[in-house]
Amino acid sequence: MRTYLAFVRSGFLESFAYRNVVWANILGKLVQVFARVAIWLAAYAGINAITVDGISLQQMVTYALLGGLLLGATRYDRLIRPLAQTLRTGDVAVWLLKPLHYPLYMMAIEAGKTFYTLLFAVIPTILVGALVYGLTPPVSLFHGAMVLPYWALGFTIHFLCSALFGLCAFWLMTAFSLEWLLQSFITLFSGLWVPFWFFPEPWATWSLYQPLAWLAYYPSAVWLGQLSVAETWQFLLLGCLWVGLLSLAVAALWSRATLRLSVQGG
Amino acid sequence: MLRHLRLIPHLVALFVRTKMEYRGAFWLDRVAQIFSYGFMMASIWLLLERFGVLGTWTWPEMALLFGFQLLVYALGASVSFVQMREMEDTIRLGRLDTLLTKPMSPWVFIVFSAFNIEYLGHVLLAVPVLVWALLHVDIAWDAGTVLFFVAAMLSSAMGAAAIITMIGATALVWVQSNHLFAIYFSFWELARLPLDIFPGAIQWLLIAVIPLGYMAAVPVAVLLGKPVPILGDLAGPVTLLSGPLLVLLAMAVWRWAMTRYQGAGG
Repeated sequence: MRTYLAFVRSGFLESFAYRNVVWANILGKLVQVFARVAIWLAAYAGINAITVDGISLQQMVTYALLGGLLLGATRYDRLIRPLAQTLRTGDVAVWLLKPLHYPLYMMAIEAGKTFYTLLFAVIPTILVGALVYGLTPPVSLFHGAMVLPYWALGFTIHFLCSALFGLCAFWLMTAFSLEWLLQSFITLFSGLWVPFWFFPEPWATWSLYQPLAWLAYYPSAVWLGQLSVAETWQFLLLGCLWVGLLSLAVAALWSRATLRLSVQGG
Repeated sequence: MLRHLRLIPHLVALFVRTKMEYRGAFWLDRVAQIFSYGFMMASIWLLLERFGVLGTWTWPEMALLFGFQLLVYALGASVSFVQMREMEDTIRLGRLDTLLTKPMSPWVFIVFSAFNIEYLGHVLLAVPVLVWALLHVDIAWDAGTVLFFVAAMLSSAMGAAAIITMIGATALVWVQSNHLFAIYFSFWELARLPLDIFPGAIQWLLIAVIPLGYMAAVPVAVLLGKPVPILGDLAGPVTLLSGPLLVLLAMAVWRWAMTRYQGAGG
């Protein structure tokens, strides 16, 4: 465990080396936050409404500000590309010799980088957005506190999905399409751009139960009190189940990929 | 000059042949791109399905904006993006020094030896979307409108390529340019949304500082007869001039950057 914590620290410190990237990140995130908020302001203004389906404009602005917190900090391409490259080139053999689990190492490094981006780019831009547009406080202390485990779940699910797609590159021999495919699913099914309560049925109900919902939809929905206390616990549990299932899938694919690699190596 | 032009088809043919060596991966990548942009478009559709309008823009109008931006970007980026994104590595690994010893323009070689046919996915999605949208929006077509549509598309594609080339050229001076691409793509996301939904500061940025407004929002608004912020009645002529002017500016920046180039070693 201490080894992986050291990798988290290493990922965090490594990001300090690229200061230009930090400034580019801050500006980029600011633009994205303003864009998401502008979309909702225009949508509500277009129909002259303050509340739609029980959701007020201020709540939607809060959703837009918080929705990008996790997806603004962690990046699937930072996982899919190196994982696919390591497997394809055979560099993974070096990692297999080390007393650590390579996917866990990648997760630790990504956690460090995510924490760095959160601290120095995403949170400052959300604060700026909150100062400009206002931010609805969490509906209760319980809901505010529960957002943290939901974000942790979201990070883990994001990592597992990226790892799953990255491992598929071993058979497909292309990471490019896998990156784009995951991006497309995240765009629609994370709820980043449009929350599921605005989806038509049955898509709205189906979307609530798929794993990408934990990346953007649930943390913001919990903050806004769209889930009751009981539902908040239920969906936290369901998220944990998804983590379990995805972990099993990643472990199975990893084992098959490394097995095949040893055959290729003779 | 003529000698350079005669070489272009050969350079393009060589690159296409290398890409077609992996036909399965090539088409899988295109399908993934279509999915990715298709899902983005689906998000906009979901929003408009619920709200009816975004500001004053209906779904067919938004589809026109989306299709126009995707097609124009694909045309412009096919002769600029991947080539210019690679500039950092081209310089750092000393490949540009080798190119400078060749008896031809380094820009011609860089751009056309990697003429990017991978934008085919964008084109395959953008063209039907554009055709569908044009059939469903209210435009009074006459010779002038048709001419404006074609000229605006050409101008916007030229502008897209010019901006990317200028960003890539900065690597000749600073060795780094990818952080600028990160900023570019944050603003690029805004280029597929109507200008009038943004706050005044962002409108100014998209029209006067990072002129991505001319990629789609301004020409499509002119075509639909919608008011264009800041530019007003000048929007039509300015959008037609923007592409050629940006190309001239990009040529000047490229030449200036070439005179400052000292290699990655300083």
